[in-house]
Amino acid sequence: MKVWNRNKYAAMFLLPYGVLFLVFVASPVIYGFIVSLHKWYILAPHPTFVGLANYSAVLKDDLFRTAFMRTAYFVVMVVPLGNALSLLMAVGLNQNYRGTTLYKVAFYLPVLTSVSVVAILWRWLYSTQFGLLNYYLGRAGLGSVNWLTSTATAMPAIALLSIWWGAGGNMLIYLAGLKNIPRELLEAAEIDGASPMQRFGAVTWPLLKPTTLFCVVMSIIASSQVFGQTYILTGGGPYYSTLTVILYMYQQGFGLYQLGYAAAVGYVLFLAVLVFAVLQFKLLAYQR
Amino acid sequence: MHLSIPNRRILAFVGGLVLLLCLGGCRHAAEEDTGVIHLEFWNGFTGPDGKTMEKIVRRFNEEHKDPDGSGQAIQVRMQIIPWGTYYDKVTLSLAYGGAPDVFILHADRLPEYADVNAVITVDDLLKTGGLDAKDFAPRAWKAAQWKGRQYAIPLDCHPQALYYNTDLFKKAGIAKPPTNLSEFLADAKKLTRDTNGDGKIDQWGFAFTWMRNNAHTFLSQFDSGWLTSDGRHSDLTSANAREAFQLMSDLIYKYKVCPAPEGQDAWIGFRTGKVAMAIEGIYMISSVEEQEGLKFAGAPCPVFGRHPGVWGNSHMMCMPRGISPEHRKAAWTFMKFLSDNSLDWAKGGQVPVRKSILSTPEFRKLEVQYQFSRELPYVVYSPPSTSLNQILPFCDAAVEATLNHIKPMDEALAEAARRTNAVLERQ
Repeated sequence: MKVWNRNKYAAMFLLPYGVLFLVFVASPVIYGFIVSLHKWYILAPHPTFVGLANYSAVLKDDLFRTAFMRTAYFVVMVVPLGNALSLLMAVGLNQNYRGTTLYKVAFYLPVLTSVSVVAILWRWLYSTQFGLLNYYLGRAGLGSVNWLTSTATAMPAIALLSIWWGAGGNMLIYLAGLKNIPRELLEAAEIDGASPMQRFGAVTWPLLKPTTLFCVVMSIIASSQVFGQTYILTGGGPYYSTLTVILYMYQQGFGLYQLGYAAAVGYVLFLAVLVFAVLQFKLLAYQR
Repeated sequence: MHLSIPNRRILAFVGGLVLLLCLGGCRHAAEEDTGVIHLEFWNGFTGPDGKTMEKIVRRFNEEHKDPDGSGQAIQVRMQIIPWGTYYDKVTLSLAYGGAPDVFILHADRLPEYADVNAVITVDDLLKTGGLDAKDFAPRAWKAAQWKGRQYAIPLDCHPQALYYNTDLFKKAGIAKPPTNLSEFLADAKKLTRDTNGDGKIDQWGFAFTWMRNNAHTFLSQFDSGWLTSDGRHSDLTSANAREAFQLMSDLIYKYKVCPAPEGQDAWIGFRTGKVAMAIEGIYMISSVEEQEGLKFAGAPCPVFGRHPGVWGNSHMMCMPRGISPEHRKAAWTFMKFLSDNSLDWAKGGQVPVRKSILSTPEFRKLEVQYQFSRELPYVVYSPPSTSLNQILPFCDAAVEATLNHIKPMDEALAEAARRTNAVLERQ
């Protein structure tokens, strides 16, 4: 009886979120799949069912493949570097120096900023003629770089700002992970004469593994959905060099109103990320 | 209760919807009470052109109050939506309700909407009189047709033409704007200079501003375009297209009178006197008029290829399918009014398309607009195609790759052609 009561209350508390989840998350996911099975031009009176034709078209579409590879390139740059930076900041802030709270706030602030603000800010930094970055490069005698307008530098530039933007979020999670590591273990290692580097390598890093894996998986999922930065800063250019999958989906769906095709693009990315995430969590379970 | 941000957004959205529904209801109630027909008019005139349009609409509303009850009272409410999101809003309203009674579509977007009858033909209204097809510039008039039917009335035409800096021309000792390729190259060479002697060019004879449409101007002069004349294949691999692209590339890399577009804001360059000539639309006129210290003039675009040709576009006045007969009649009155008053519209930086207006002395006084209007007989619109919107990004990429040396020209053109043909086949 007691258990039933507890469950009943739990269900009541979960209900509001459950309803919102069903209406605004679960049903669009299912509906999106149904849409992806149709040829649906928004102004045409009726969508026509085409089965998996959109999927085969997506897989044959070389621009989708370009977008997929550019997204992968972005993920490969952002995830390792971003996580390394987050971990570094967390380790630094875990030493009880004075004023760490101030730094925590400062590092976390970009995460709270909306992507449009971040992108517009960095557009100024990257500006070829008036940008701060090129100003300092020029003063150092290194000439100027067409950050966002050359095919070689555009994606790395987007990655750099994304790392700056997101590092604070994972930093907090790493910090929580570090706080969970028993102090006795570190003290014992110190008494045994381990150097700070050795203590990190032999105690902190192994114990932090679940946190690291969580952060890495979450950042892969998040960064494979990169959209706002490329949408605002480059629109996918120059010459498709910053065309990412979600941007391509957006262009197909809301630029060209090919809703079925866009839904299929989204689903292919979803499946790719899903496979990747499942593999990683399996790996995590195995290592435990 | 703590709501996460997405949930709060959802609540705000639902709240907004409820509010909108209420407001919609109120508006209709008011309309029935007074017997006045209220028209919604949407456009994207966010610049000075919007102020001009506002004045014209205000005058219409004054003249159509109909206090003595002899005719139908009409009041127009104009909504200006930035072009960036304009087509999303128009498309959604046409698909799911709430469409305006009169709205503007660019000529090159019209086929997309006409083909699925999202806009309604005006053929029957034309028979009722008031507007004479023969009074319109033929190319602009034809651009409002799709599959033999008239779907809209062109309000204006905005062809590209040559803007040139008269101060720089005078300093270089050039008396008049160039009219053909050899004059253009000679002038551009004189105007391309290293003014401060640091070994780097800082004043350019010419620059590409809007690459896509500059390229279309070049293509049209070489008898080419984005699509073959039947609209079923890409024309970018044709010898004509290659000739046009080669010349554009040569201006940068062979004659060296034009900077590579990469990392340049060429229009700002023209405004600040760093670029002496540019080929741009008439709608840019207000941005150069307000530039302090800039003396400029307009001239028909030089002939770079085999014959004159420039890219142009028009604002088309359209009505949605499903509009009620009373509203449609009122909307027609309003569209006629706008067309009849397109001289005022021209003053804000447009070329009218009514012959009866083009021949007036008042229009002749608008010097730059007049120069641009001389191109009306040979202006070339984007190829009429329902897939144009899907194809243009491929063309953009080809132009960009060629002019910035990202890819060899032939490769870039072949790639764009292949993608274009794939889209056309899918339709």
